[in-house]
Amino acid sequence: MNFFDKVFEQRSRQLAQRSSRRGLLKGLGAMLVGGASIPLLPVARAAGAEGAGRPVEEGDPSSCDYWRYCAIDGFLCDCCGGSANTCPPGTEMSPVTWIGTCHNPADGRNYVISYNDCCGKSSCGACLCMRDEGDRPVYRPDKTNDLNWCLGTSSVTYHCSTAIVVGVAFDD
Amino acid sequence: MVRLLLLPVLLWSAAALAASDDSGRVVFDYQMNCQGCHTPDGAGAGSVPAMQGHVGVFLQSQAGREYLVRVPGSATSALSDERLAAVLNWIVYEFAGDSLQSPFTPYTAAEVAPLRKHPLNEVDDYRQHVLRAIAGADARE
Repeated sequence: MNFFDKVFEQRSRQLAQRSSRRGLLKGLGAMLVGGASIPLLPVARAAGAEGAGRPVEEGDPSSCDYWRYCAIDGFLCDCCGGSANTCPPGTEMSPVTWIGTCHNPADGRNYVISYNDCCGKSSCGACLCMRDEGDRPVYRPDKTNDLNWCLGTSSVTYHCSTAIVVGVAFDD
Repeated sequence: MVRLLLLPVLLWSAAALAASDDSGRVVFDYQMNCQGCHTPDGAGAGSVPAMQGHVGVFLQSQAGREYLVRVPGSATSALSDERLAAVLNWIVYEFAGDSLQSPFTPYTAAEVAPLRKHPLNEVDDYRQHVLRAIAGADARE
């Protein structure tokens, strides 16, 4: 017997001793069922939703023309020491917000934007933008941006506005 | 055998995917009509009452169940009856937690339609009245 025959015989015997006849079926079954149920796990769903809901970013967040600012009425936090998503140091983000949708030309989709105001310092004064798309009169208080949205914060003093993507819009 | 096992799993995945599509719509409706004040997790802020861990209390009485539809944010929202019912159900499932003490019968468009024609004017008074009545009933038990 040559060397290869010996090796193959040894390996085959080892395999036969160590694995059961239905082991492959069991493993394959577990893999198929397990694989099929991975998308049902909350972790996988969250990751999928995040991927699907993440906009393609283009443009300058310190310019009024930036796509997320379609309904903005105020100072851009991006020009005030913060960013389109974060408040400048020393200010507090209002949990109560004006919510609308904006069209993102970079990926052609509409997104839900939350305009969280940053509060607790006097008006920032830089980059005043008033695009106001989707703004409604004050008799629709939840859809008007002509009032102070520093609500639920310790101070009602308005400093600047962020524009945070919170989801994908559904078209009617 | 494996194929037989796989079939229900596939059907289940399909059902889950269909449901997640509906839940996308209902989340969008919540975001556009409620989230601004009620915050993403229903915790509320400042004078906005918390729905998180609390909203189920209202379902202990008929007046409370109606309150959730007749409160102006619901009744006068721009949502259709079907979509309002869906958002209310989503809010209960998502936020009620332990405050839901008995099995919840979901709202339907047919139930919501006549109720929302009578939005509450004195919301705070009605709310207190409803909650006191429920607390009183709890105390008697």
